[in-house]
Amino acid sequence: MRQALKQYKFDWMLWRTYEAGSKLLAGTAQEYDIALRYIPYFKDPVKEVYKAKAGQLFLEMTATYLDNIVNAHQRGKKTCMTTFCFSPAILYALDIVPVTLELLTVMMTFLYKRGTFEFLDYCNEVGFTETSCSSQRGSMGALLADLGTPIDMVVTDSPGVCDTNANAFSFFAAYKDVPFFQLNMPPWLVEERVTEYHVQDYKALVAFLEEQSGKKLDEDRLRQILKELQKQDELINELEQYLCYKPLPLPVTTCLFIYAGRFMFAGMPIYTRLLELLVAEGRENVALHKQGINTSHEKSRGFFCYIDHYTHSLRLWQMLEELNIGYAGNILSHFWAQSNPPVVKYNCPESAYSINTNTLEDMLTSIAAINSRMPMIKSIRGPYDSPYMWLQDTLALASMYQADFIVYNGTPGCRNTWGMVKLLAQDTEKAGFPTHIMYADAFDDRVQSWDATRDRFEEFLRVRRLI
Amino acid sequence: MIVAGCDIGSLTTKLVLFDGKKVIASSIIKSKPKPEDGAYEALEQACAIATVNQTDIVYCVGTGYGRKRVPFAQDNVSEISCHTKGAFYLYPNVRTIIDIGGQDCKVISLNDRGEVDRFVTNDKCAAGTGRFLEVMAKVLKVELQELSNMAKKGNDAITLASACTVWAQADVIKYLNEGMPKENIALGVCKSMAKRVGVLVNQARIKRDVCITGGVAKNTAVVKELESLLGVTILKITNVDPQLTGALGAALFAYQKAGGV
Amino acid sequence: MFDEFRQIAQSISNEYIQNEKKKGSLCIGYTCSYFPEEILHSLGILPYRIKGINVSSLSVADAAFGPFICSHPKCLLQHFADGDYSFLDGIIVTPGCDSMRRIDECIRKTAVNLDLPVVPPFFFHYAVPHKITEYSIKWLVEELQRFIDEVTKHFSLSFSYDALKQSIRFYNQLRAKIEKLNSLRMEQPPAVSGADAVAAFVAGLSMPREIFLQKLDAFLSHLETQPYNNRVRLMLIGSANDDVELLSLIENDNAVVVADTLCYGPRLEIDYVDEVDEPLHALAVRYLNHSHCPRMYGGYKERKAKVVEAIAKARVDGVILQNIRFCDLHGAENGLLERDLEQMGVPCLRLEREYGPLADYERMRMRIDAFIERMEVRRYVCDRP
Repeated sequence: MRQALKQYKFDWMLWRTYEAGSKLLAGTAQEYDIALRYIPYFKDPVKEVYKAKAGQLFLEMTATYLDNIVNAHQRGKKTCMTTFCFSPAILYALDIVPVTLELLTVMMTFLYKRGTFEFLDYCNEVGFTETSCSSQRGSMGALLADLGTPIDMVVTDSPGVCDTNANAFSFFAAYKDVPFFQLNMPPWLVEERVTEYHVQDYKALVAFLEEQSGKKLDEDRLRQILKELQKQDELINELEQYLCYKPLPLPVTTCLFIYAGRFMFAGMPIYTRLLELLVAEGRENVALHKQGINTSHEKSRGFFCYIDHYTHSLRLWQMLEELNIGYAGNILSHFWAQSNPPVVKYNCPESAYSINTNTLEDMLTSIAAINSRMPMIKSIRGPYDSPYMWLQDTLALASMYQADFIVYNGTPGCRNTWGMVKLLAQDTEKAGFPTHIMYADAFDDRVQSWDATRDRFEEFLRVRRLI
Repeated sequence: MIVAGCDIGSLTTKLVLFDGKKVIASSIIKSKPKPEDGAYEALEQACAIATVNQTDIVYCVGTGYGRKRVPFAQDNVSEISCHTKGAFYLYPNVRTIIDIGGQDCKVISLNDRGEVDRFVTNDKCAAGTGRFLEVMAKVLKVELQELSNMAKKGNDAITLASACTVWAQADVIKYLNEGMPKENIALGVCKSMAKRVGVLVNQARIKRDVCITGGVAKNTAVVKELESLLGVTILKITNVDPQLTGALGAALFAYQKAGGV
Repeated sequence: MFDEFRQIAQSISNEYIQNEKKKGSLCIGYTCSYFPEEILHSLGILPYRIKGINVSSLSVADAAFGPFICSHPKCLLQHFADGDYSFLDGIIVTPGCDSMRRIDECIRKTAVNLDLPVVPPFFFHYAVPHKITEYSIKWLVEELQRFIDEVTKHFSLSFSYDALKQSIRFYNQLRAKIEKLNSLRMEQPPAVSGADAVAAFVAGLSMPREIFLQKLDAFLSHLETQPYNNRVRLMLIGSANDDVELLSLIENDNAVVVADTLCYGPRLEIDYVDEVDEPLHALAVRYLNHSHCPRMYGGYKERKAKVVEAIAKARVDGVILQNIRFCDLHGAENGLLERDLEQMGVPCLRLEREYGPLADYERMRMRIDAFIERMEVRRYVCDRP
């Protein structure tokens, strides 16, 4: 790692940058234009984000999230390293600050031309395997090098769902000798004993968190957070309805905001405000019959059956706009509440969660169910063609959103999806969806350059007459 | 007493003749499909230079990938040990050796006695090896030796997919088609190579002095970039061709095994 | 005797399996050491640990699995596609790791795509938790019961706890013999090479266990020569290995692998199943606790302690930490072990490799030779007056 990179804590740098980014609109339009000149790398993401009315709040929210991390210990709070597919609501209920590796990796990847390259490599330098998923490695490298806030505990819920994810967290815990807790996921979802296992496991998690934080779970606080989550679910449901319209009445970054916000602040009012702004823009555009994409008419619509591509400057979203592709989300933007449109449309409430805030037991059962329905945790745990798993979810969502094609994008570290994506693509093709498999790394342009990724994607669109 | 060290690598075959005090002759030729043929040719060349008969050679040690296929060798030693031996002989202060060969990159950490303390090697991928540069030089349509000079003239390096030689090749072709100056591409290639090697060096935990051996040591653009990445000065072997370090080490082992001290 | 073990270890089928099949016995294959063979044994079914050995191409496997997948399950799949496992009446797939668990879909879909009968009639996805708690043991007990229910129903068999208890007793006897063999290889000098020991372990997973017990017994009573004096003593750690050739490659003529932690082997500790406890509970406890696999997240300290203990017991000179490319679990754990063992003064070599037809033995040979030379220098230095 270059010496220069060791001069500042990486989370502090991110915090200051996002905070400054969130204030760019505070001045005049002219001042905004001038400011952009001084942030050559950051200006593209900023411009892209500000196209949505919720853009400013999104940046503020990101800055707040980073502020919480950077200043956690100063404020007497414990930090918990965790993963995007773990709902942080329980951590907020116990006043623990989540440090979500994948989020930090994306935040840095968006900002810098070189992304997190040196941190990715640093993981290998200290002995971690280079074939592991880059989504964790990007920021884990910085934390292994002590360039971020110290971590007090590690929690992951991916064992049984994704080895490379779980393995990264267990490596960090062993390397730094930090307390570690794992939630296990059986390969099925809808079965009484699976539910029972989830709940027992979740209760053990709560006990672990209480022990590590020295705080007792406050029932009222948990209730308040779950009620806020209910409110957030309702707003997401409305947004999902708009995502079904053609042309899309929502900005192309909407799905990114939905899932990034939820990963950062599930159950917290700041996320509710973000969703309210998105809904307001959607309602307004629907009323005006206005589409969300800024350029000409939507030519075709894609559904990303896994994750997006996050390297520098939100280029994926820029490209989709340039090509007039309507973007109806990915597997990350669905949280499977029983009231969620795909659940209602395909009548599979048993695979979804409901929130019951009556007693503590009810709440723990609910939050265990919420967690076990998190993106990836729900759909990738069992064979892809089993009920309620990847294939069923992909086909249901792609149909509901009237997608014209499906895209798989992930990382070479994703053993689990790469073990079945070719088969999934065969099935989605059979179901009538042209399907494109990207061989890129969503977090590391060195695996396949963005230009090559874009070339191949456009070639797919042309060959399949989608543009 | 004349001894020999013969290093059969994937791209080149090297032979060193040593008389107990100095290298009396050496040869470097392209490896042959049959390693034995290459070994004989290298031996003939070196003997001709030193004007000695092959029968004058009392002991030979083979090293490199074809170390067991050297027909006139009495013994063989791994190239890691031979590179260590050779480099330590040339520079007794060296504690880290970076050896970048045709299909291999190794970083060796030495103790004060010149013994291998620990080593790390690249694994399956060609990125970070001489083969990577060879492939890229071919795409750029220049001789391998030219790549370094070309890179020195570059001022705005391209970013390359360094994780995979095949994909990097596709990127280079694309940049060429877009009319990007070859010099900037060559610089990008060398930087990418250096980064890959840099990770390996950090894995081995660098100790000073550091020297570089193997064919890629001749590529000064890669070496310069590595120096800047690692924040150390890398010793270049000047008294013999850096490509010969392994063969020299083998000759030193041969001298020891033949009873020399 | 070891020639026969090697022969059995290095082939998919063998005469013992063929004889059993001729007699009408059922044979069920499984993919992970977390499945208790005792259950199959008690039902009169021949258990078979599925191997990937001797595949010559990956034509089908590469088409089903993506490019970033460990080559071991790919080789298993290829054997199924090539019809080499037609003697199996069933298969048990376990989420041992992500590459291996996906063999479930890959086998089923390959059968559909190629229109070949590559899927055995009985197919069971066996869910093993990644942690050891009261509720995960309870889960595993239920999982074993579910297996018993399904397999007995499918093949119209009857299950009895008495038979299971007998099988548990039999397997404990077998373990005692394996423990004996394992301790002989740890001796100074070892009475048996690592390759021969691994051949015996792997062969034992592909033949009727009663016959294996007899042969192992006979072998142990005839062990006399101790030809492995003065060799560098190595320990082998990392990814699953059913390939005796890997051991032969490492040992060559100047080293001997005196201990290993490999799947397909006895691992470090020969844990016995409690014969007094309720049988399914006893099996669940033993198999979940017998965890020398990094799939049991958070258990690094315990695993390291066992490795350190074995290094001392077997007087190991150096440790080879190998992993098949894309084996994230061992790839990461090897990094931790390298750091910790080197700090303790134990020389380590990390080695990434491919399995099966992709194995590049020459490249590995060079690295192993250099490592062994390093050990030899150490020995020479240590022995110097």
